[in-house]
Amino acid sequence: MENILMLFSGFSTVFAFNNLAACLFGALMGLIVGAMPGIGSLAGCALLLPLTYKFNPTTAIIMLGAVYYANMYGGAFSAILLNIPGDSPAVMTAVDGYPMATTRGRPGQALFVSNISSCIGGFIGILILTFTGPALAEIGLAFGPAEMTSLLLMAMTSVGWLMGESPIKGVIATLLGIILANIGMDTLSGSPRFNFGSLYLMGGIPFIPFVIGSVGFAQIIKIMENRNADPQKLNQKLTIRSSLLSIKEFRRLLPPAIRSGFLGTFVGVLPGAGATTAAFLGYAAQRPFKSEEPLGTGAVEGIAACEAANNAAAAGAFAPLLALGIPGSGTGAVLLGGLIMWGLTPGPLLFTKSPDFAWGLIASLYLANLCALFIAAGIIPFLVKILSVPIKLMIPLITVVCFVGAYSSSNSMYGVLVMLLSGVLGYILDKHKYPLAPMLLAFVLAPMLESNMRKAFIISQGSLSIFVTRPISLVFLAIMAALILFPVIKTAIKRIRKESPK
Amino acid sequence: MQILWAFRCNPLRTRTQARGFQVVEQALRRTKMKKNLPVLAAFLLAGCLFSGGQQSPSGADPGKPFEPTRNVEWIVTSNAGGGSDIFTRAISDIIVKEGFFQAPILVTNKTDGGGEVGRAQTAGTSGVLANHTLLTFNSGDLMPMVKNTPNRVENFKPIGIMAVDKQLIFVTPDSKYKTFQAVLKAVQAGQKVVMGGSKGDDIATYDLLRSELKWTEAQMPFITYDSTNDALTAILGKHVDIVISKPAAAAEYVEAGKLLPILALAIERYTGNLSSAPTLSELGNYKNVELPVWRGVVGPAAMSPAAQAYWSGILKKVSETETWKTNYLDKFKLVGEYKNWQEATEYMTQYQKDYMAAQNIK
Repeated sequence: MENILMLFSGFSTVFAFNNLAACLFGALMGLIVGAMPGIGSLAGCALLLPLTYKFNPTTAIIMLGAVYYANMYGGAFSAILLNIPGDSPAVMTAVDGYPMATTRGRPGQALFVSNISSCIGGFIGILILTFTGPALAEIGLAFGPAEMTSLLLMAMTSVGWLMGESPIKGVIATLLGIILANIGMDTLSGSPRFNFGSLYLMGGIPFIPFVIGSVGFAQIIKIMENRNADPQKLNQKLTIRSSLLSIKEFRRLLPPAIRSGFLGTFVGVLPGAGATTAAFLGYAAQRPFKSEEPLGTGAVEGIAACEAANNAAAAGAFAPLLALGIPGSGTGAVLLGGLIMWGLTPGPLLFTKSPDFAWGLIASLYLANLCALFIAAGIIPFLVKILSVPIKLMIPLITVVCFVGAYSSSNSMYGVLVMLLSGVLGYILDKHKYPLAPMLLAFVLAPMLESNMRKAFIISQGSLSIFVTRPISLVFLAIMAALILFPVIKTAIKRIRKESPK
Repeated sequence: MQILWAFRCNPLRTRTQARGFQVVEQALRRTKMKKNLPVLAAFLLAGCLFSGGQQSPSGADPGKPFEPTRNVEWIVTSNAGGGSDIFTRAISDIIVKEGFFQAPILVTNKTDGGGEVGRAQTAGTSGVLANHTLLTFNSGDLMPMVKNTPNRVENFKPIGIMAVDKQLIFVTPDSKYKTFQAVLKAVQAGQKVVMGGSKGDDIATYDLLRSELKWTEAQMPFITYDSTNDALTAILGKHVDIVISKPAAAAEYVEAGKLLPILALAIERYTGNLSSAPTLSELGNYKNVELPVWRGVVGPAAMSPAAQAYWSGILKKVSETETWKTNYLDKFKLVGEYKNWQEATEYMTQYQKDYMAAQNIK
């Protein structure tokens, strides 16, 4: 009850004119920054941080919170319309969003599905944050290296659902992702590996240019190859009315969005796992459930599952930040730096020392979520027009976007080079029907799995028992075993049933 | 000819410079007037003008004071919002606010290759740019650079050191070990105590502590986390036994009673709420373990001595402002310890030497 009272006092803070304006401005900036490939929430918040020095801390965090939050909405725009994820959490949105917008010719609906799911996922995350707050952060603390290892192992089995037609090609793509993720600095000893003497490779392959290349630029190469094969583009008038969702579609997006909302919040709270991981897991968790169209061909459920998950994770990540002063992500770290600059000390005392601030921020998340939804809904009719631009104009435009996005991730041509090479790689893989999703999933999860597993082994001095003597870890391993064995048992039972009538 | 020899051996000379000096050398051989110093000087001057084109006037005339004449590029090898970035922007904000000079400062984040690309590029910057390029350089940058690349402090012109920091060891109040004596006893009894910490500085201090206590890595294993915050998360969740951290990151937890300082890795005890932690020498027949974590600024090797002195002076002015003390040092609980370019050169070189000796790097 106390939480609700505090929340209402938080709302009264937010509804001051300057805070409201800051929230709106933040939401707008977040959408723009999110939609621009290469500039994610991290860079967006970092760029706006200096602007806020003169603000009072509450107004400042409200604005940055809104930027962070709306960013998750914006990332989906370019993912759906151009097949170039605006930021890394939107990678999986492109898998179903782009086919829905192009092959199925329903870009408006795809954008609306993504928006509404983002909003639902976000609200679930914020509600959980409001009612459990500091307790939520304690759950995150219980996850040490052993628990994270088991969780990530379980998550890695979800690769099986992303394989597509040929399991062997899926496994090859997964291993390729793991190999590429290994390049760079050994996370524990800090020595370079597989860098072939290159200073650039010492820092590893940057994720954003890698994704822009393998997904977006590969797409451009593909379009150029087929440019004469498919001259007609969708020419029908796209109006708000024709972009709206039917009630049936709304019903379809609801279950995955709610499921992903809870899953995403949980992932957001975990140390070291952020919105990107949440989106991957949300999408993978959708696989076992049925959808009208197969996932990966433009299914409403696929978009809903990952968009709800990444927004929920963004909300969940605030729990450890506010309750313990621990940033759950890179963007969290920038916000933490901001807190220090504004003269607040983040940490376990924030809720008791500056309740106005902490609850004002939580209240502003509700508002930011709504602002982002309405602003986004308002610009969808204009955004979908992008698709009626002729291909001959689109190719150079998207190429420029790819270059700028890859460059701005680290302000160097190295990003552009990575983007070009992974574009060629992505094109070749796609041409030969190797699925991209397992490669990207492995690229994100493998380094986390490696460092957690090695930390666990340091703690246990090389003994495997650490994974089974800890209850949380054991539960995840059991679930993993069940997931692996379930199809085997299912076919076995089927076979027995078939044989028994004889 | 000694001057020429020095230039020829300088691995960082640029191709244009090299060509310039070849011309000077050939001219000297032809005229056979090696002993004639004024002519030599004239040739050198010509060579400088020839090689760099506008190889800054101060390079030719060390007597003339340097003034920045163009944009100053300040390279930071951490992400926007990271520790080095905050440090750099704090300094550049003060410079702009106080109007120490008029040329614009452009802070550029170069994070490729874990920062090594930015450091290598700065080291090799030449010509007029060399006098207008600065690099934020910390002990935590020096260690991976020396360990993983051939780049060395000698490839830079140190400009100054602005602040130092030291570390402490913390436990949670309900930990098995309430004091560092308990840790000593446990390890002597054959138990294993797991330490968590961040990269770079923390690992170096851990190594130093372990060598002073004569423990093996198996007796006190170290788990490297990506950041101090991650390490603090780990100890709050009781996944490690003890944690090493700088005071700023842990201060709030100490105040909230969630962490307890048990050992000061310093020559003398801290003050305030960290004063309860003893130094190592108080606990037995050990020497105190202290590895200062410093934050400094360097320029390219080709920076002229005049520019080096100029930038060093600017940093001194910044270190004397009230804003620097209240908005940076106090906020991040650092000790302000300005060192000018001579002191910084000596300090960084010695630090590198000690580190290389400790890590067996040749």
